[in-house]
Amino acid sequence: MALLGQYAMNGAMLGMMYALVAVGFTLFFGVLDVIQFSHGDVVAAGAFAGLLAYAALSFFGVHAPGVLLLAVILAAALATIVVGVLVARFLVLPIKGAPQLNVLLVTLMMGTVVRECIRLFFPNGSQPQRFPALLPSSGWNLGAFYLRFDNVILLTCGGLLIAATHLLITRTRLGLAIRAVAQDEETARTMGIDFKRVVLVTFALGSVLAAFAGVMDGLYYNEVFFGMGLLLGVIGFAAAILGGLGNLYGAIVGGFLFAALQTVGAVALPFASAYKDVFAFGVVIVLMAVRPTGLIGERVSERV
Amino acid sequence: MKAAAVAAVATAFAWLLLRAESQTSISLLLLLAVAAGVAAARLRFRLSGPSVLAFAAVAVLALLLREDDFSLLLLTRILIVVVACLGLNVQFGYAGVVNFAGASFFGVGGYTAAILAPRLPHLLVLLLGGAAAALVGSILILPVLRTRGHYAALVTIAFALLFRTFLEVNDTLGGPQGLKLPELVIGPFHFNDPVFDASFYLRYVALGLVLAALALGVVQRLERSWIGVALDAVRLDEIAAASFGLSIARWKIAAFTIGNFITGVAGALSAFMIGFIAPNNYAFSESLILVSILLLGGIGNPWGLALASAIVIVLPEKLQTIQEYRFLIFAAVVILILLFRPAGLLPRPLRRLKT
Amino acid sequence: MTALLSCRALTRRFGGLVALDRLDLEVERGTVLGLIGPNGSGKTTFFNVLTGIFPASGGEIGFDGAAITDLAPQQVYRIGIARTFQRSRLCLPLSIFDNLMVGNHRHLRHDLWFNLVRRKALRRQIGEQFAAARELLRIFDPPLAERMLEPAGRIPMIDRRRVEVCRALISRPKLLLLDEPSAGMTHDETLRLMDDILKVQQQIGSLTIILIEHEMSVIERITSRCVVLNYGKKIAEGAYAQVAQDAQVKQAYLGLE
Ligand SMILES: Nc1ncnc2c1ncn2[C@@H]1O[C@H](COP(=O)(O)OP(=O)(O)OP(=O)(O)O)[C@@H](O)[C@H]1O
Ligand SMILES: [Mg+2]
Repeated sequence: MALLGQYAMNGAMLGMMYALVAVGFTLFFGVLDVIQFSHGDVVAAGAFAGLLAYAALSFFGVHAPGVLLLAVILAAALATIVVGVLVARFLVLPIKGAPQLNVLLVTLMMGTVVRECIRLFFPNGSQPQRFPALLPSSGWNLGAFYLRFDNVILLTCGGLLIAATHLLITRTRLGLAIRAVAQDEETARTMGIDFKRVVLVTFALGSVLAAFAGVMDGLYYNEVFFGMGLLLGVIGFAAAILGGLGNLYGAIVGGFLFAALQTVGAVALPFASAYKDVFAFGVVIVLMAVRPTGLIGERVSERV
Repeated sequence: MKAAAVAAVATAFAWLLLRAESQTSISLLLLLAVAAGVAAARLRFRLSGPSVLAFAAVAVLALLLREDDFSLLLLTRILIVVVACLGLNVQFGYAGVVNFAGASFFGVGGYTAAILAPRLPHLLVLLLGGAAAALVGSILILPVLRTRGHYAALVTIAFALLFRTFLEVNDTLGGPQGLKLPELVIGPFHFNDPVFDASFYLRYVALGLVLAALALGVVQRLERSWIGVALDAVRLDEIAAASFGLSIARWKIAAFTIGNFITGVAGALSAFMIGFIAPNNYAFSESLILVSILLLGGIGNPWGLALASAIVIVLPEKLQTIQEYRFLIFAAVVILILLFRPAGLLPRPLRRLKT
Repeated sequence: MTALLSCRALTRRFGGLVALDRLDLEVERGTVLGLIGPNGSGKTTFFNVLTGIFPASGGEIGFDGAAITDLAPQQVYRIGIARTFQRSRLCLPLSIFDNLMVGNHRHLRHDLWFNLVRRKALRRQIGEQFAAARELLRIFDPPLAERMLEPAGRIPMIDRRRVEVCRALISRPKLLLLDEPSAGMTHDETLRLMDDILKVQQQIGSLTIILIEHEMSVIERITSRCVVLNYGKKIAEGAYAQVAQDAQVKQAYLGLE
């Protein structure tokens, strides 16, 4: 029972992270029909920016966990917004008309640039970095299962963030503009929507979600690594595909589905934790082979 | 005539560069090369000549460097990477199939060689390295067939990450320490014995040249044939291609398999030459380097990727300051290339089936 | 003798939109059928369903005595149906000759052995194909036939149209589907293109053509029969003179204006 609770909690945390990343992929695809392959590394950039803010504040003698946490999140969000918007503005938008392969390659290489910058320029960046525990580690005893506050807080915040995104997309003028652009760029333009601005705002929005995923990853595992974005990016993207690219809810469902598969795999399969990443990537490959067009189906715009 | 002169100058330049020791002289030589390149581009300098010239130039260069182990090793590494990229070129350049696991298929070739080398004749082992890579590639074939490139991209990236992690945690394949290979022996040739008083690497250069010539021959013939036309049509317009009877799946599978085979053979030779292999050699970032070479050189042009291989391998070795930063630098360079010169340094020439 | 092509209740839906609505259509061998109708009436969709690009939502297609309703595009091409596209779909970076050879796929050898090893035989086949392609292109535009080794992206739009028609013709299909082949051409150029196509038809003998065309004078001149579509439905059929008088047809076109 206790073990089961442990697994469920772990799965929920993973699922929340994947969902946050997947929503980014799906938003970008919605407005621009492109895959932002560096999105995973943007997550890592967020986590490391948060870490940097923490180090700076600690250096100046700030030790209040609340202040530190706020600073970490703000720094992470700022960093991801900057990277995400720069990618959109200077890499993706200029070659929108070029073959899809080029956009894919540019963003993929941009991911390498971000990753390498962290590895090379963060102090001792090639090694995993300890991420501070900024949330209370106490909790409730529920029978044999120990429910930790920090996990509850992270899950709640993640859920609120996703709900906020949902409200933004469905209830605001900005959301309407985003949906209009996703529907049909031409029509949106004729309706007087500033296409470029909507794209940039969407990239900022998706990147903020990535920032939270990065901080969440750091707080949950107490460790971040310059290559962490690869795994999160691949699984987040796979989750977005699974949920049908361009579909917000599909991405969330896809994220949790992946986490569930991974958790069940960890329980059911004998070869334990050493193979957990191998298993995760294997699941990605298998799912892409059997369910190529997504649960809900990707929009195909080609007219013959 | 012109081609012979260029080959001679290029050989002399390569010799100077590889022999140069001080960072200043190396930098000067590189600046000279850049200037020459820019001038050639400005003057719309076109070069055509028999491929034999290029191979002869490399052979002469190797003989000039016969006692210089390090330079010969570099030369062989370039040749091997050229072969590997020729494989990727069939996929990216002709059929338009993306593959971000080039280093993994290279690694499949290497590990296959390490396992089979003690048991089988080594020439056969080289071929089996390619066959194994082609076979492993077939696992990924379904998603690779999807029209939109991002499925193939995602799946090959996932495979590249999986492959490396798998090698690290799997003890039977040596884990992080990897595996050792015996000396390469083909017929009467023992590749680790010195050649008279010259470096034993000369044999590897020779074998590298033979493999590169074979791979180039296959790839060029492929391009200048009906198959080349079919692959291009599949890459450029799947709907038009299908409407004229081309089976998209068949050609993508063919290109993916042929490409992986060639890359796998290169990987097997590389493993023999280094003498041991470890998961670290086959990281995702190495796959990206291979793709960078393709894009830098000019996707679809074998000579472009040969030039780019030389640049990408020699530069970090000769300019020590950039060694640490090479992944970053090459990624940035590729971004610039894609934004401002998507056809690469040496754009692919138009195919002229009839001369 | 039965018709070359016959469709029964052919239907295609896109979500709620019925782009092709229970269409019955027959084409006799060796004739030219005109397919007309206002924008968005389903003409291109008919070609796409016929060639297997989109599966039919219902109905049947018979060709040359066989049912071909569910064939893939590749199979449709192989039994002798070739087409052009409304929006030009040439491979622009490839040479004109290469583009024509894409169209002749079913007559070329594609095995590895032939292409990689038997280079002499391959060169011979290339030589023959080159001569044949030049011959065909010459009918349409003699100067163009001398430029077959230039990239298709470097010739003007009109010539691209001609190349596209030749790409469809070179495999000697039984049925040729032309989707507004003259888009972007002047009136005179259009007439010339049509005359050239008819010339080829005479040469090949048994070529049957379905032509989608907005220029009514062209339809009048070269088709023996036409079918008028509106909202995916057939609203009239017969000789052009007769169809043009039809009240429903006038309505459809006027309604659009
Ligand atoms: N791939 C598609 N997805 C959704 N709807 C489509 C698709 N292709 C065509 N349609 C719709 O089907 C209807 C018929 O289109 P079609 O292209 O066949 O018309 P058309 O008669 O060829 O018109 P035009 O003269 O403008 O070429 C149109 O309403 C069009 O919007
Ligand atoms: Mg149409």
